[in-house]
Amino acid sequence: MAEKPQTSANFSSVPVILLLSLFSLPLLVMYAYLFIDTISDTEVGSLIPSEFTLRHWSFLWETKTGKPNIWLVTLNTFIFASCITGVILTVASMAGYVLSRLNVPARGFFLAGVMVLHAFPSVTLIIAIFIVLQWIGLYNSLIGVILVKAAIDLPLGIWLMKGFYDTVPWEIEMAGTVDGASRFTVWRRLVLPQIKPAMMALGLFSFLTGWSEFILPQVLAPGAKVQVLSVYLASLIIDDNNFDFGTFKAVGVFYVVPVLILYVFFQKHLMNIYGGGTKG
Amino acid sequence: MRTSRTLGLVMIAPAAIMIFLFFLMPVMLTAIFAMTNMSTATGISGGAWQVTQGAINRLKTDMPELATGIAEPRFVIDEEGLAALEGLKLKAGFTTELRASHMGEVFPSRREAERVIKALKDRPSTREVKQISDLFNRSVLNTRFETRDDLMASLKKLGFTLTPAEQETVSKATYTGWVWTAENFRILANSPDMAQIFLNTAFYVSVTLLLFNVTYALFLAITTHYMPASTASVFRAIWLLPRITPVVIYVLLWKWLTWDSGFISMFMGQFGYPPKNYLLDSAYNAWFFVILINGFIGASMGMLVFSSAIKAIPQTQFHASEVDGASRWQQVRHIILPQLRWPILFVTCYQTLSLLASFNEILLSTRGGPGKATEVWSLAAFHTALNNYTGNLEYGLGAAMALVLVVVGIVLSLIYLRIFRYDTLISKPLIED
Repeated sequence: MAEKPQTSANFSSVPVILLLSLFSLPLLVMYAYLFIDTISDTEVGSLIPSEFTLRHWSFLWETKTGKPNIWLVTLNTFIFASCITGVILTVASMAGYVLSRLNVPARGFFLAGVMVLHAFPSVTLIIAIFIVLQWIGLYNSLIGVILVKAAIDLPLGIWLMKGFYDTVPWEIEMAGTVDGASRFTVWRRLVLPQIKPAMMALGLFSFLTGWSEFILPQVLAPGAKVQVLSVYLASLIIDDNNFDFGTFKAVGVFYVVPVLILYVFFQKHLMNIYGGGTKG
Repeated sequence: MRTSRTLGLVMIAPAAIMIFLFFLMPVMLTAIFAMTNMSTATGISGGAWQVTQGAINRLKTDMPELATGIAEPRFVIDEEGLAALEGLKLKAGFTTELRASHMGEVFPSRREAERVIKALKDRPSTREVKQISDLFNRSVLNTRFETRDDLMASLKKLGFTLTPAEQETVSKATYTGWVWTAENFRILANSPDMAQIFLNTAFYVSVTLLLFNVTYALFLAITTHYMPASTASVFRAIWLLPRITPVVIYVLLWKWLTWDSGFISMFMGQFGYPPKNYLLDSAYNAWFFVILINGFIGASMGMLVFSSAIKAIPQTQFHASEVDGASRWQQVRHIILPQLRWPILFVTCYQTLSLLASFNEILLSTRGGPGKATEVWSLAAFHTALNNYTGNLEYGLGAAMALVLVVVGIVLSLIYLRIFRYDTLISKPLIED
């Protein structure tokens, strides 16, 4: 980005910056108050917080009646996101390599299928998946929803991995095979280390989408024992008896902070993938 | 040759299995479910045959005589009842006499059956008469039959002789499981509700796509292009926030902004406007915010795609035009936009699909309200099949609605595949072993 055209002295960028700042204002206000409101109380009818308080954070040490324990929920979310990451990385790194390098029948067909599915709005299948999970008895279990979510994100993962493998020079594999290593060893020992940064990016991305996922756990695993943070927060918000934005936001901050930290540290990696086309 | 082939098949197998299980099978199943009337009431496995009040009402039009007949209690003196009577250990004479002189008789009402029982030689008491008559009650009303034949056998025992055609009608009316039907598609085609939802969807997708996913994304990409790099990255980071924030929190923030005790209400309150719920007070406002909520997320993808496309334009073109005295607008109009044709088409195609299918944000913000003002197709399918207020989840109808989206999705993704020129993406493996 350094060689941006700072083209001329004829034009100033100040007006556009002002205009864009104005457009960005709603987002800034919402995010600023997301953090402010969790540690303060504001009098009704006022926008300026009046006192400091930690009571909105009490959900961390007190379990609300009828709601699961927050730490259990967090653990579930972590397991959910990690397993998805593991499955996607394993399966996509193998399939991507095949599509990029190996000679298998119907390779082109499979690649086309992956591309179509990558754009395909998979959430429309949720009704059928719901009924299937009920049939096979994986409804309301983490395993079921992990498999579904991983499968749904898989085409994007395979597609990205294929792209990453394409950039690895053939010479590396040639050298390996000439030295007598099998194609599997070549892949495992020589090619995989080459795409470590890519694996890291895909892994982070999968973890973040898993961490953020709402509709699949909501529909396929809503039970208290397997609840994840998004479902927990949504159930708090929908409960009309305890309407308290301070608490919602505190849970929200608790939920979003890991995302923001990962995002800040690994922005460069993630940008590539977000630009490469996710859904939304 | 051989080893690489086997290795390839082994390595691709997990992906193929997962894709088969969670994409291809659900697509086929959606199509199959769409042709049934599955719902909570019918269950998703098999059903049974039960003469409910509802079934009798259904039968009344075709076979009024039978319907009233079944609805009434029937009393049959049979071996089963006699065995039960022996079990009660009343006077032995009851059983012997009933067996001897009344075996096989059918009484259309309790009164007639009890008259016979009362006339027995051993003179049962009133309490006993009631007890005995209960044992012979063979009414089919509200009895569950596991198979069709069971039901027909019982009806026959009660003295209803039915032709095969009549049997078919009765069995249809009393079956509680799901059946094949094309009714769902008729509803989709004819119901005015569906037409309204369809219009909502078209409005929502086209307006969001046009205003935000394309136009505003272009605006973001072009303005940040002309900014110093550090400022540009700040704005890009801000506009990526909606995408990286988990959707539940993101929508929560909007709710807080628009709630009747939220930011806008408080802010307007400073100028004397009474607080109100800006999200749900009118259909107009609801749409306004639904489009903003989705548009803010959607803008970021276009922003990133267009930004990288602009970065790929050779700098010399900008320098040359600058020397010739071109204005910024002229640069945008004649250099940037023509070279963004394919990225714009790509984003349009991709985001049309995403918008058609995504209902997370609407579900969490307006739930399709106020009334059904912001109900879009995918949300309506979800409401019909998985989450509604009446409690009867109509899987069949919901699947039919989803099937429409699936078909649209497949068609649009195939177009998308053409745009990508996929044939240029696959190269021959260089190592043959």
